[in-house]
Amino acid sequence: MILAVLFANSEGNILVERFNGVPAEERLHWRSFLVKLGADNLKGVKNEELLVACHKSVYIVYTVLGDVSIYIVGKDEYDELALSEVIFVITSAVKDVCGKPPTERLFLDKYGRICLCLDEIVWKGYLENTEKERIKRMIRLRPPTEF
Amino acid sequence: MAQPLVKKDDDRDDEEYSPFLGIEKGAVLQEARVFNDPQLDARRCSQVITKLLYLLNQGETFTKVEATEVFFSVTKLFQSRDIGLRRMVYLMIKELSPSADEVIIVTSSLMKDMNSKTDMYRANAIRVLCRITDGTLLTQIERYLKQAIVDKNPVVASAALVSGIHLLQTNPEIVKRWSNEVQEAVQSRAALVQFHALALLHQIRQNDRLAVSKLVTSLTRGTVRSPLAQCLLIRYTSQVIRESAGSTQAGDRPFYDYLEGCLRHKAEMVIFEAARAITELHGVTNRELTPAITVLQLFLSSSKPVLRFAAVRTLNKVAMTHPMAVTNCNIDMESLISDQNRSIATLAITTLLKTGNESSVDRLMKQITNFMSDIADEFKIVVVEAIRSLCLKFPLKYRALMNFLSNILREEGGFEYKKAIVDSIVILIRDIPEAKESGLLHLCEFIEDCEFTYLSTQILHFLGIEGPRTSDPSKYIRYIYNRVHLENATVRASAVSTLAKFGAMVDSLKPRVFILLRRCLFDSDDEVRDRATLYLSTLGGDGCVVETDQDVKDFLFGSLDVPLVNLETSLKNYEASEEPFDINSVPKEIKSQPLAEKKAQSKKPTGLGAPPSGPASTVDAYEKMLSSIPEFSNFGKLFKSSAPVELTEAETEYAVNVVKHIFDRHVVFQYNCTNTIPEQLLENVIVAVDASDAEEFTEVGSKPLRSLPYDTPGQTFLAFEKPEGVPAVGKFSNTLRFIVKEVDPTTGEAEEDGVEDEYQLEDLEVVAADYILKDQVLNFRNAWETMGPDCEHVDEYGLGQRESLNEAVSAVISLLGMQPCEGTEVIASNSRSHTCLLAGVYIGNVKVLVRLSFGIDSSKEVAMKLVVRSEDVTVSDAIHEIVASG
Repeated sequence: MILAVLFANSEGNILVERFNGVPAEERLHWRSFLVKLGADNLKGVKNEELLVACHKSVYIVYTVLGDVSIYIVGKDEYDELALSEVIFVITSAVKDVCGKPPTERLFLDKYGRICLCLDEIVWKGYLENTEKERIKRMIRLRPPTEF
Repeated sequence: MAQPLVKKDDDRDDEEYSPFLGIEKGAVLQEARVFNDPQLDARRCSQVITKLLYLLNQGETFTKVEATEVFFSVTKLFQSRDIGLRRMVYLMIKELSPSADEVIIVTSSLMKDMNSKTDMYRANAIRVLCRITDGTLLTQIERYLKQAIVDKNPVVASAALVSGIHLLQTNPEIVKRWSNEVQEAVQSRAALVQFHALALLHQIRQNDRLAVSKLVTSLTRGTVRSPLAQCLLIRYTSQVIRESAGSTQAGDRPFYDYLEGCLRHKAEMVIFEAARAITELHGVTNRELTPAITVLQLFLSSSKPVLRFAAVRTLNKVAMTHPMAVTNCNIDMESLISDQNRSIATLAITTLLKTGNESSVDRLMKQITNFMSDIADEFKIVVVEAIRSLCLKFPLKYRALMNFLSNILREEGGFEYKKAIVDSIVILIRDIPEAKESGLLHLCEFIEDCEFTYLSTQILHFLGIEGPRTSDPSKYIRYIYNRVHLENATVRASAVSTLAKFGAMVDSLKPRVFILLRRCLFDSDDEVRDRATLYLSTLGGDGCVVETDQDVKDFLFGSLDVPLVNLETSLKNYEASEEPFDINSVPKEIKSQPLAEKKAQSKKPTGLGAPPSGPASTVDAYEKMLSSIPEFSNFGKLFKSSAPVELTEAETEYAVNVVKHIFDRHVVFQYNCTNTIPEQLLENVIVAVDASDAEEFTEVGSKPLRSLPYDTPGQTFLAFEKPEGVPAVGKFSNTLRFIVKEVDPTTGEAEEDGVEDEYQLEDLEVVAADYILKDQVLNFRNAWETMGPDCEHVDEYGLGQRESLNEAVSAVISLLGMQPCEGTEVIASNSRSHTCLLAGVYIGNVKVLVRLSFGIDSSKEVAMKLVVRSEDVTVSDAIHEIVASG
C-alpha cells in the first residue's frame, strides 16, 4: 500500500498531502517526520535525485523537483524499488504539466492538473498508471495513444 | 498552509503571489455557488474545484452540511459538456466521498457515463462508482464491471481491476465471482492490465494454496510483460516455495530455476526482487545464494541510491544468517560508508560489523569514527548496538571497541544515544571480565561531565556493586565523591549510597569513607543528609540499625523484600503519630502480576536496567516474589523458571498460564489467572492438581488467590516436594476451582453469595529440560578444551526415520533445553550431516557442554553421536539418560 504522497515547499509547508490507510491521528506525526527528514537531508540534492529511508516497516523515497520536495511512503509490496517507480511517474508527470521543474508559484498555478495526475497515478494506495504520455492524455479524458 | 515565496531571482514577477494566497474555506464555499448557474462557466468552475482540492489537500475538513452542499452543487456540473471540467468533477466526487443517502443523486449520471461510448468516461465512471458504492448498488453494476475487466481499452480494464482490488475488502463474495474475467485479463497484452489482474487474481485466491500454486506454475512458464507483474509473480513464487518446503523431497528446489532466471531480467526491479527472494529462501544453501549475492554486489555500486539502499538492506539481513556469504561484498560496502545517503551508510556499517573478521575490526573502527560525527542520533544508536554484538563476538578485541565506545561517549549526543552507549559498556563489563576495570573507569569519566541525572544515578549504582570487587577500589572514590560536591541532590544522594557500599565491602577504605560520609551530614538536601546519617549508623556498627557485618551488606545490597506498590500504598495510608511506621506491616502479597508479559519482552540484554548478575532478570524477579511468600521462603535458591505455558485456549472465559519454578528439592507451579468476564468476581481461586502420573512428586503446600476481579491478573501457587537434585519428570492434570459471584455491571458491586464452580485446564508436564538452564558460551571450542575429557561420556543413538535433519536437530535441542552455540542450530538444506553445539547448566549448578553429530541416510534414518562434557560424570550420564529415554 502507498501510505502517503506528500508535496512540500522549500520551507516545509505542505502543498499536497494525500494519505491512504493512515489513521487521522498519525497523519500529523508523519507530516512532521517527513518534513524533518527532508530538512535534514535534501539540502544540495540535485533535481530528481532519490533519497531513501526506512522507518519501522515502512519505506520512504523522496526527492526535490525545483522548489518542491516530494515524499512517497509505502509498505509491504511498495518497498523502496516500487516507490522509486511511483516517484518517477509522479516527477515526470509534474514536470510535464509544468513544462520544467516547477517553482512553487508554477506548481500552485498548475495545482488542478497536478491533482488530476496524482489521481491517475495513485488510487487509494495502489499504483494505477505509470506512463506520463498516457496520464497526460487521460487527465484530458483522451484515450491512450496505443489504443 | 503554504506561504507565498518571495525570491530574489529573475522570475520575481512570477513569484509575487500565490494563486491561493489568503484562501479561506468560507469564501471558497461561497464561490462554489457558480456550480448552480444556469449558464455554466467551465473555466471558472474548474478554478473553484481546484481551490476546493487545495483546501482538502491541506488537511482542511468540511462539515457534514458543507460537504453535502458542495456535493449537490458539483453534481449539477454533469450538465456541462466540457471535458476538462468533467474530469475535475470525477475527482471532486471521490474526494468528497458522499454518504450512502447522497450517492443516489449521482448514480444515474455515472451509470450513463459508464455505458458511454467514450472510453474515458467509462473508465472514470467505474472508478468513481466503485469508490462511493455500497453492496446493493454493486450488484446492479456488476455486469458492466465484468465486461469492463475484459474491455479492449486498457484504461477501462485497469480501472475495473483496481476497483476490484478495493472492493474485495468490502464485498469479497461479489468480486470473487469475477474470477474468470480476471483470469482472462492476466493474459492481456497490456502490461499494466496484466499487473493489476495478477494482483487481483492472487487476492481472490490467496486462501486456496493449490490455486495459487497452479497460477504460479502456469505463469512462470509463460511470459509476463510488465516488470511490476513479474515482481508480484516472484513474491507469489516465494510464497509457494515456503508453503511447500515441508513436503518436498531433498534435491533441487522447485522454482529455483525460475528465480535464478529472473536474475538476468532486464529490469532492475525484477532482478532485485528475485535476488531478495533467493536470500530469503528457508535453509538456503551457499550454492543457491551465490548468484543472488553477485547481483546485489553489482547494485552496491549502482548510481541509483534506491538500488544501493535495497542491496545493502538485503545483504544486511543475509549477514545475520550467512555472514560468510556476504564477505565478498565487503570492499564495496566499505566504500558505501561515505555514501551521501546516511541510511545507506548506516546499513553498510552495520553489515560490515556483522561480516567482518577479527583482523578487520581495527580498520573498520577507524572508518566508523570518521563517519559517526555526521549522522543523526537514531543511526548512531544502531551502530552502537552493532558494535556491542561485535565485541561479544570477538571478546579479544574489547580494548579497541571499548575505547571507541568511550570516545563517542564524550561527544555530543542526546539521552537515548548516551544511554545506548552506557548500556553497551555495562553489558561488556558483565560479559568480558577483562574489560571490567577499563569500562568502569570510562563510566567514571563520563559521570564527571554527564548532563543526564538518570544516567549518573544508574552508573553510580552500578559502580557501587562492581567497584568494590575490583583490584583497586580506592581509585573510584574520587569520582564518586566529586559528585557529592558538583551535582544536583538526586545524584548526590546516589553518590552517598555508592560510597557506603564501598565502605561496607572494603575494610581498608572504611575509615576514609566514614570521613567522607560525615561531610555529607551538612548537605543542603535532607535526603542526602538522611542517607549519610543512616549509612554512618549502619556501617559504624552501633547496633541500632543492624548488628553484624553480614546484616550491613544485606541492608546495602539486598533488595526491599516488599513490593514497591504495596509500600507506597502503606506509606500513603500511614498517619503521623507516636507509633513509628513499621515496614513489617506492609503486605507482601502481590496483587497483579504482569510477569508473564514482561518475560516475553526481556529477552534482550538490558544493560543498566537489569540487575548486575544472573542470566535473566525475570528469574530474579520471580525469586524475590517467591521468597516473599512464607510457605515457600525456605525452599532455597531458585534454579530455573520456565516460560509461561498456556493452560487455556485463547479467548476463553478464564485465561490461565503456568510458570514452573524449579528448586533443588521442590517445584512450585505459579498459575497466572485472568478473569475475562466483567459480570463475575471469582474468590478462593485454587488449582486442584491430580499428580498420579507424577509419582516422585508430593504436594506440600498451596497458596490460593483470595479474589480475582475482572481483568486484573492474579496468581495462585502450588508446591511439590521431589527427591533432591534429581530431574524428576511427570504429568499433572489441572482443574481451576473457585467461588463465583455475580457482579452488577452498573455499580460494579458483587453479590454476597457465591456458587462453587470449576473449570478444566490443560495438562502440564515437568520435563527433563526444566532442570537445565541455557548458558551462553562465547567460544565453544575454548570452553570444550578447558572442560577436558575427564567427565566425558560418548554414545551413539538411532533416531529412527525423520522428515528432515532439521527436524531431528530441533527435537534434540528442545528435549535438552540447552543453548545452541555459534549458530549451529541452523542447518543448510539438503545437508546430510550436521554438528550442533549446546551449552547449559544442570541442576546443582553443574556446567554441561554437548556436541551432537547427526547423519541422515537416503531412507531418512537419522543417527546421532552424543558427546557430553561436564564438571561431574553423573551429570554427563544424566544427559545421556534424558536422550535415551526421550
